[in-house]
Parts: sequence; structure tokens; C-alpha cells
Amino acid sequence: MTILFDTRYLFVRALKKLVRNPILIFFSLFQPIIFLVLFTQLFHSLNLLPGFPAGVSYLEYASAGILMQNAFSSSLQSGTSIVEDLNSGFLQKMLVTQVSRPAILLGRLATDAFRVTVQSVIILGLAYALGFRLASGIPGTLLILFIIAFFGLAWSGISLALGLRTKSAETVFGIGAFLTFPLLFMSTALVPLGFMPSWMQDVSRANPISYAVNAVRDLSIPGFFSLSAELSALAFIAGIAVVTIGITLYLFRKVVS
Amino acid sequence: MPDIIAVDDLVEVYADGTKAVDGVSFKVSEGEFFGFLGPNGAGKSTTIKILTTLLRKTSGTVSVAGYDLDKNPKEIRKLIGVQSQETSVDPELTGRENMILQGHLQQMRGKELDDRVNYLLEVVGLKDAADKRAGRYSGGMKKRLDLASTLVHKPKVLFLDEPTTGLDPQSRATMWGYLEELNKREGITIFLTTQYLEEADRLCQRLCIVDAGKVVAEGSPIGLKKEIGADAITIAVQNKTGAGDRAATKAAAKELLSKIPEVMNVVDTEEGLTLYVKNGGLFVPDLVRSFDKTGIELISINISTPSLDDVFLKHTGKRIRTEELVKEVSTGRFGSRRR
Repeated sequence: MTILFDTRYLFVRALKKLVRNPILIFFSLFQPIIFLVLFTQLFHSLNLLPGFPAGVSYLEYASAGILMQNAFSSSLQSGTSIVEDLNSGFLQKMLVTQVSRPAILLGRLATDAFRVTVQSVIILGLAYALGFRLASGIPGTLLILFIIAFFGLAWSGISLALGLRTKSAETVFGIGAFLTFPLLFMSTALVPLGFMPSWMQDVSRANPISYAVNAVRDLSIPGFFSLSAELSALAFIAGIAVVTIGITLYLFRKVVS
Repeated sequence: MPDIIAVDDLVEVYADGTKAVDGVSFKVSEGEFFGFLGPNGAGKSTTIKILTTLLRKTSGTVSVAGYDLDKNPKEIRKLIGVQSQETSVDPELTGRENMILQGHLQQMRGKELDDRVNYLLEVVGLKDAADKRAGRYSGGMKKRLDLASTLVHKPKVLFLDEPTTGLDPQSRATMWGYLEELNKREGITIFLTTQYLEEADRLCQRLCIVDAGKVVAEGSPIGLKKEIGADAITIAVQNKTGAGDRAATKAAAKELLSKIPEVMNVVDTEEGLTLYVKNGGLFVPDLVRSFDKTGIELISINISTPSLDDVFLKHTGKRIRTEELVKEVSTGRFGSRRR
């Protein structure tokens, strides 16, 4: 019980911090929005190329990728918050209370998931205004938001682990920024696999972002959906999240004791 | 009175082999205001971290509030309040929110918590600023909030790691007032570490003087100072012509004074020289006369009973004060980067 209460208290704390610093949300939304508004206009004729799925507009195609970009680039900043608490002494202050230890991480992860969901809703709304219509309606939208939030958690785990390991906000921030573009471009987020040179296709096939993007795309474009592909993508995302959050918990235990 | 803290042969060796705490033993009675006085790097913070369950000890036994540190850290956490050296309040939460959060994490709820928070905000004089964000508080206000938030759950023992470091003299005096009040009125046991002699002297009923991970002296401030058995006379000197090398004048005076049989010891200080003499008041005429036929002029004489610094000097051959200065310089240069 304590763990649930404590998670809620720390979730509320982080949420208050976020609401009082809306500039943070603005910064993490900035890039995806630029992509959504400018990229999709710039490359709108990309769908005329052979190999592009027939009858699909570039906006429809790229939206899934941009949603994912938003998820993992925001989540990759998550570790900076734990570094802040570590260096300000606030973490230690929590640790001398009876607080449930895992709740400190769970509260953080819940906040990250919430944040990514809110940002995704904003991006979806903007895409809607630009003419993007989700094929799978409300249930599909909810499932998409769930996938995105869950996928975000995996990256939060990586970022938190980095933060706990390096104890440096700059490093966490730097690595996050460094990873974003290579991971994004070497995936099927923005272009179909067939457009890439063969070596990049190999990277893209191994890139977890491709899996997550495909899972979202299958739900958003008419005729793309296949249950087996959807389930395997979900399983894959869950697997990554379990591994990264497991590492984070392990490192956290080391810091705490 | 029963011991509320008992530490026996505590050792902490860091991964790099540094012995931060080297066989420390002491006891604190319930209701006592107890201090750990020592220079930077003496092992004070390390000791407090171990006692408050934040750091695992290498060896030794510790019990706090009747619980063994190894067996019952959770019970200990219910009964202690800890203020660390860093002022750890959340700048984006209001003062009240900071305190409510601490209360929540200590499993307090509802009206009981609200009442306690209101009471404490009043006590530390933050009632009017309670709903402003803590980030906008002054340094002194932040420290007071930090202190108040460690008291929400009515701890039996309060641990304070250098609670007034970085405060201006006025805020420091205010803080001292609260701490004395807490100890006297609420009967709360206080364990405090400090590098400020005046702080230890004024607040602590009993203290351990620590250096390089070891306890070098233990007792009440008065008792410790009595052990010195002499008064301290601090003088400033200059060349009679008003010119000349200050250091050379000082050295000449030191030479001269150390030949006088009554003088037990002469030490260089920032102000000039400090000499230790039994019955200092009676020695002053002799002191003045001894400079008569020299080129040295006495510009000030200050007699005092020995300070805790003199005690520290006696046991370690060093002064705390010089260390203190070194510390302030280094935090100015490197410490600020972290914030």
C-alpha cells in the first residue's frame, strides 16, 4: 500500500514541477512540431516515389514516426531530474524517511509516461488539423497512446540508468541529444525500408524504434493492421522496457544502499 | 538518562582505501544537545550519513533510538529527522508543499499533518511566505524551511550536518535560537556537526572534538576549556617607527616572549600572537614591560579564557580556524559549480 501512496505523492510532486515549468514541455515539443509542420510539407511528394505504400500521404506515413520521436527524445531527458535530486540532496532527504524505495522510481516513470502522453495528444491534435485521420478511431488512438507511453518508459529507464551512473545532468542531456537523430533516421520512422541503402536497412531492422513506429503506423493507416505484427511489436517493446527498467532498479539499489 | 545514540568503534573505509572514520565511539543521552566539532574532512558528515542510514558502515556497532542500525534501519527512519549540509528543499514547490510532501513520505495524513505543518511554519517564521515557491526564498529562509520539514513527523532525534554553513551572522543567530528552543521545550535530542567553534560552544551540552576520523577529546565545552589550565592572551604588534617588516616584527616578538618563564606557549595567529599564561590578568604588566627596551610596540592586548580552538590546538597541534578559511576559499571557487 505504502508503495502506491508514495508513488502517487512523488508523481504529484513531479507533475507540479512540470506544470510550473511549461517551458520544458515547449522545448521537447518544439522539434517534433517542426518535423510535423515543415518536414511533411517539404517531403509531401515523397509518396510519388516507387516503393512508397500506395494511396498513403506522407503526412499519414510520417506522423507515426514523429510521435515516436517525441516519445523517446523526451524520455531520454528523464534522467536529468534524478541527477538534480541527487545533487541537491533532495534524494537523500527522501531516503532518510520511510518512503518506499521503488516508489521513488515509479513516481518518476509515471510522470514520464504522463508527460509523453500529453505531448502525444498535442501532436495528434496538430496532425489532425493538418488533415491526418487515424484509421482505427478512438480505441486505436488509445492503444497508440498506450504503446507510445510504454515505449517512452523504456527510454526513461535508459536515461535514469545513465543519470544514476554518471551523476551528471549534462551527460544525460548530451547523450540524449546525440542519440536522437541517428536512431530516428536509421529507422522506418520517416521513410520506408526500401528507400535506404542496404546497410542502413540492416540497422533499421535492428532498431527498436522501427518496431514501435510500425506498431503505431499499422493502427493509424487503413489496411496496415495485422494482429500478429501488432502483438509481436508490443512484446518487443515490453521486453526492452523490462530490461532497461530492470537495470535502472539495480543501479538505484546500489545508489540507495 | 538512557543513551539514545550509542556508537562503538565505528569505522568507514571508502572504496579508494581512505579511512574517513577511524574507530569512533561515543554515546548521547536522551534530550542532550550533542556536538561533533572538527575541521573539514574530519569525518563528521560521513558519521552522520552512517547514523542516519544513508551510508553503510565498514564495521562497528550503532544503535539509534533503541534500534540497531543493521537490523532495524526502517524503525530508525521513523524516529529521526535529518538536515543535510546542502539545503535540500524543492525550489519549484511552495514552502507548505515541501513540508506536506515530507509528512506524506513519513506516512502522515489529513488534519494531523495540516495542523503540524501550520504550527511549524509559524514557529520558523515562514507563515506569510508559506505559499510562495521555495526557490524564491532567501538562503536563511530555505534553511529554516529545511529544518522545519525535518520536524514534521515529530522525530525523537534530530541530526544536523553543519546547519549554519553559508548563513549570514543574523540568520545563524536565528537558527541557533530555534535549535535551543527545540531542545529545551520539546526535549528533542540533537546531534549536530559543525566546524564553527562559537556554534559548538554556545549550543552543545557535550561534544566530541574530531580530527582525521578520530575523536581527540570529549566533554562539555566548559570542561574541555578548563583542561587547558591557562588564559589566552592575543596581542598585535608593530615596529615603533611605524614602518618595517610586519612578519619580522612578529617573529622578534615571538622570540622575546618565548623566553619569559611564565609563558607556556606562543602561537602565530592572523591577528598577531597568542600566548598561554596562567592568571593572564596578572601577567599583563609584565607583558607590557617586556617590550620596553625593544623596537616593538604593542598595539592591542586581548585576554580571554581559552576557546575550543585552543582545545583543538592542544590535541592536534593545528587550529580549526585556518582550516575553516581554506574551506571557504575552496567552496567559493569550486563548490558553486554544482548549483
